[in-house]
Amino acid sequence: MSTTLSSRPGVRPAGYALVRAGRGSFLVHRRATATALVLTLLLAAACLAYLCVGKSFVAPGEALKAVFGQPTDAELVVGTLRLPRMTVGLLVGAAFGVAGALIQTVARNPLASPDIIGVSQGASALTVGALTFGVTSYAVLPYVSVLGGLLAAVLVYAFAWRGGLHATRFVLIGIGFAVALRSLSHLFMTKGDYLVAQQAQVWMTGSLNGRGWAEATPLAWTLLALLPFIGWAARAQRTVSMDDDTATALGVRLNRARLGLALLGVLLASVATGAAGPVDFVALLAPQLARRVTRTAQIPLLCSALTGALVVVLADLLGRKLFEPTELPVGVLTAAVGAPYLIWLIIRGRTGGRA
Amino acid sequence: MSAAVPISTPGSPLVRRRIGWTVAAAVALLVAVVLSLAVGARPVAPGQVLDALLHDDQSRDALVVRDMRLPRTLIGLMVGAALGLAGTVLQGLTRNPIGDPGILGISQGASLGVVAAITLAGVQTLTGFVWWAFAGAALASVAVYAIASRGRGGASPVKLALAGAAVNALIVAVVHAVLATHAAVLDRFRFWQVGSLSGGEHVLAAQIWPFLLVGAVMVASVARGLDALALGEDVAKGLGQNIAAVRIVGGLGATVLTGIGVAAAGPIAFIGLAVPHIARALIGGDHRWLLPMTALLGPVVLLLADTAGRVIFPPGEVPSGVMTALIGVPFLIALVRRRKAVAA
Repeated sequence: MSTTLSSRPGVRPAGYALVRAGRGSFLVHRRATATALVLTLLLAAACLAYLCVGKSFVAPGEALKAVFGQPTDAELVVGTLRLPRMTVGLLVGAAFGVAGALIQTVARNPLASPDIIGVSQGASALTVGALTFGVTSYAVLPYVSVLGGLLAAVLVYAFAWRGGLHATRFVLIGIGFAVALRSLSHLFMTKGDYLVAQQAQVWMTGSLNGRGWAEATPLAWTLLALLPFIGWAARAQRTVSMDDDTATALGVRLNRARLGLALLGVLLASVATGAAGPVDFVALLAPQLARRVTRTAQIPLLCSALTGALVVVLADLLGRKLFEPTELPVGVLTAAVGAPYLIWLIIRGRTGGRA
Repeated sequence: MSAAVPISTPGSPLVRRRIGWTVAAAVALLVAVVLSLAVGARPVAPGQVLDALLHDDQSRDALVVRDMRLPRTLIGLMVGAALGLAGTVLQGLTRNPIGDPGILGISQGASLGVVAAITLAGVQTLTGFVWWAFAGAALASVAVYAIASRGRGGASPVKLALAGAAVNALIVAVVHAVLATHAAVLDRFRFWQVGSLSGGEHVLAAQIWPFLLVGAVMVASVARGLDALALGEDVAKGLGQNIAAVRIVGGLGATVLTGIGVAAAGPIAFIGLAVPHIARALIGGDHRWLLPMTALLGPVVLLLADTAGRVIFPPGEVPSGVMTALIGVPFLIALVRRRKAVAA
């Protein structure tokens, strides 16, 4: 469904509203906007619950006081422990959501995500390697994993490029590297001692345990810096999802758009992985959930970000509470939160089956 | 979802080429079997391998070949063929180039069965795991199909793929939650999880071959249906194919095959995914050729990987699951790059 306007005034594509702002005007997808609003409200509720619930319960009023820096008894629990950890979860979830949306768009495949095309495995391999060979400083590891993710992506891209970035070739080469790099991580894990292996295992599952402002701040700045590019991506998505012949006929620089989207997706996934480890399935599920709710032709980026954030925040909340005092890594629960909803959406199945 | 669809255009790979590659694959398989029997910590000359198999002598070489390597090789043969076939069928059914037993949750279903076996029933042996893994794989497949066939349009390829991914995610979560809270289960499970042929026993080989046969017959019977499905559902219907029957028979066949593969050797990644693509790059997308080809190539990759893993870092062994990747990935990349467009 393209969104080109007919030349007659007052004719709009179905499902869109015209918004006038001063002399400019633009089209807004009604359902997507409504969905974004609802998701924002849900996310706010989930965040409040996250701050209140834990080993000790904090009343919502006190929690909000702590967030806004008012003096309160909950200062330590909320302000120092839960708030920064939740912030990391929010940002990581949003980043994975957008990354998944972009990679699924480029690959034209609903099963494609950073943990399938090798980005997560590259990050894991380099991080586990670093752990094995004695790098244990948590200040360094995030950068190591970002580097690993990017390196893997560069390799995949170099091998997949052949006069263009063909969607299926890109995914297949990515999977090849993913498998090889995962094996490399497993090999590294057998070389180190038992404790290192355990540390690596927890990291590879994806966990927010012990995360705080030290991770949240650089993550927030990085995502802020990438924001203009994400804005560009939302427009470029449309051209990439056309079939090659149509796009070429319209004179779209297909390869450049694909490369840009893939690169941005990889960057976002790498940065998120650096902060929390490769949290499984968020990047796969969030864009699909968002697309099935909004029913837009492209995968909606804002809703994917919100869905990803919601899934991670809820999953970490459950992970902290479910088996108290044992804490489950967030990566174990992201699927448990997102998958049932996706299944329900498929069963309800009002959306057609396009990727 | 706009995966490229293979169309046998006239003048595409000739029958001669197909026969050529199929014969080559059969020869490669023979070589892989001989290597698997001969190579290891105790090298045995090929001539003596044959002696050991034919005569009942009690020399040490003969015992190593007969009691250790023969079952391992047989299991590798069967598991490789099973996973290759299962991957081909699942990619055909979901019309998704990355549809395979792992991504669609069937392997995870088998894993869940094994976790349940250890946790609930205290099963410790590989032969005991088989039935549990089977049940798990079957449960996962039925769930995926049931979810995908609800709603409008029935079990369309995209819905199958997504339902598979969702069920996969869910099972992973359950398995992880159990492992995180039961240290003893993790301790037993992690050895099975690596994916290896080394636990092979004669009993196991004897147990699984009938299932391999049943599964192979099932998927062979839907070869034409898969070809028709590749052209789209409407065309397939127009060609007189019963789509639902193709999906159910093919899906059941793939489940049986994945079940024995995972039960016997643990979740060995990559074969179900990559072997079909390698085969397609060699002989094209006609399933009547593709299925036998993947049944030959799957065990080639698995046996070579397993054999290489025995000798690459002596005295230890590198698990086959790790070696399949190291051997198969360069192949996959080379072949995928060679083709102009990759059909699935």
